[in-house]
Amino acid sequence: MTLPALADLARQAAASGLDVVPFAVPFFVAAIVVEMVWAARHAPGAYEPADTLTSLLMGLGSTVLGTLVAGVIALAAGWLYAHRVATVPVAWWSWIAIFVLDDFNYYVFHRAAHRVRWFWASHVNHHSSQHYNLSTALRQTWTGFPALSFAFRIWPAFVGFAPGMLLTVGGINLVYQFWVHTEAVGRMPRWIEAVMNTPSHHRVHHATNPRYLDRNYAGVFIVWDRLFKSFEPERDDDPVRYGIVHQLGTFSLTTVAFHEWRAIGRDLWRAPFSAKLGYLLRAPGWSHDGSRETSDMIRERWQAAQGDE
Amino acid sequence: MSGKLAETITTLIARPDTGPWLVLTAETLVSLVMVLALYGLARAMRLGGDVRLIDADHAIRLAEATIAGFDAREVTLDRARIGALVRNGEGRVLLIRRHGARFVGREVTSHEGIRLDRHTLTLETGDPRFGPLTLDLGEQAQIWAASLRRLHADQEHPA
Repeated sequence: MTLPALADLARQAAASGLDVVPFAVPFFVAAIVVEMVWAARHAPGAYEPADTLTSLLMGLGSTVLGTLVAGVIALAAGWLYAHRVATVPVAWWSWIAIFVLDDFNYYVFHRAAHRVRWFWASHVNHHSSQHYNLSTALRQTWTGFPALSFAFRIWPAFVGFAPGMLLTVGGINLVYQFWVHTEAVGRMPRWIEAVMNTPSHHRVHHATNPRYLDRNYAGVFIVWDRLFKSFEPERDDDPVRYGIVHQLGTFSLTTVAFHEWRAIGRDLWRAPFSAKLGYLLRAPGWSHDGSRETSDMIRERWQAAQGDE
Repeated sequence: MSGKLAETITTLIARPDTGPWLVLTAETLVSLVMVLALYGLARAMRLGGDVRLIDADHAIRLAEATIAGFDAREVTLDRARIGALVRNGEGRVLLIRRHGARFVGREVTSHEGIRLDRHTLTLETGDPRFGPLTLDLGEQAQIWAASLRRLHADQEHPA
């Protein structure tokens, strides 16, 4: 592709948005097949057909629902852009700037998705597999829209970035994150591990080991975790166990998609009035009577036990 | 495909009231076929396999992974090694069972739903997602059944 053609494509993408995800789907499918062949030879337990089916159907459902609500999100971003405080020109440097800013926004969203139960309810399904393979990457939410997760990503339109740029870099961010969901890749060269999110860093993120809980929220650049003290390296002496603290024990689609929302509903119904908001906005695992544990509490108890040994 | 059918489809896709829905439906159906093909491939390659508990240490590691700091003291494996019962020093009991190619555990907090039939013990954890599980524990079944009936008392007054 020539430079003028690339510039033209960038202008079109800024104007109407270039969704790269559909173009990536054939590569997703091919990569999953390759990983399955690797698993058959080296680690048959890395895949479980029923788990894979659930993950892929979650991905399909998420895509369909995403298509249905895309117009509303585009309208919201358009409204913000119509009331923008400045106009950021479409140029090579503004594409880099919005890519980095969007990745930072993803970090903030992702951290909130693990630390605020409201957002966790729509994100937990992505973590609910006890397997970690490329199909897990596609285990995406069905409830991100009603959870208002998109608000984390569209605010740059108010600053003056064209909504098309937000859609384009958001899609690239999503596509990048696909390949980090694998056990087939060990560690990347040191400089890549230092800057980028990698399979090793993201395995830690999907872990239930107390040491690893709520760590490595990065999308593309791991530097955000290093900067905001949420980074934890993968250790050979603490192999990752995947899933969530209370494993679901089912492949049911509706359970995977909605179980935490149902649990929130039950807690809101039963909790005393003064505690109700806590069950929505405090960390997953928080309870007004101390009968449950958050990730921080589990880690503290585990650290205390380590100190006793 | 006949020329007339192709023309009809093209017309419907061009219409703003039907076009987007037709495209979305077609994309969804194609994706669904791909999903089922990948699922079929995983089955054909026998991925996942027939996992079993290796030994008591395996069950202990799973119990400690289920509840951080669970200090397992007593373990009985199902004779087919598809599940296990694990007890810690405080009298808390974990039921471990196979889930696909992995294992999951739940704490048994009540003796309700526990049924003994000679060497088999059927347990419920109170979590409908987990479901009931029947374990063949051999001669240990009766001993576990008796101790699980005292579950609440043991937890209130641990030895």
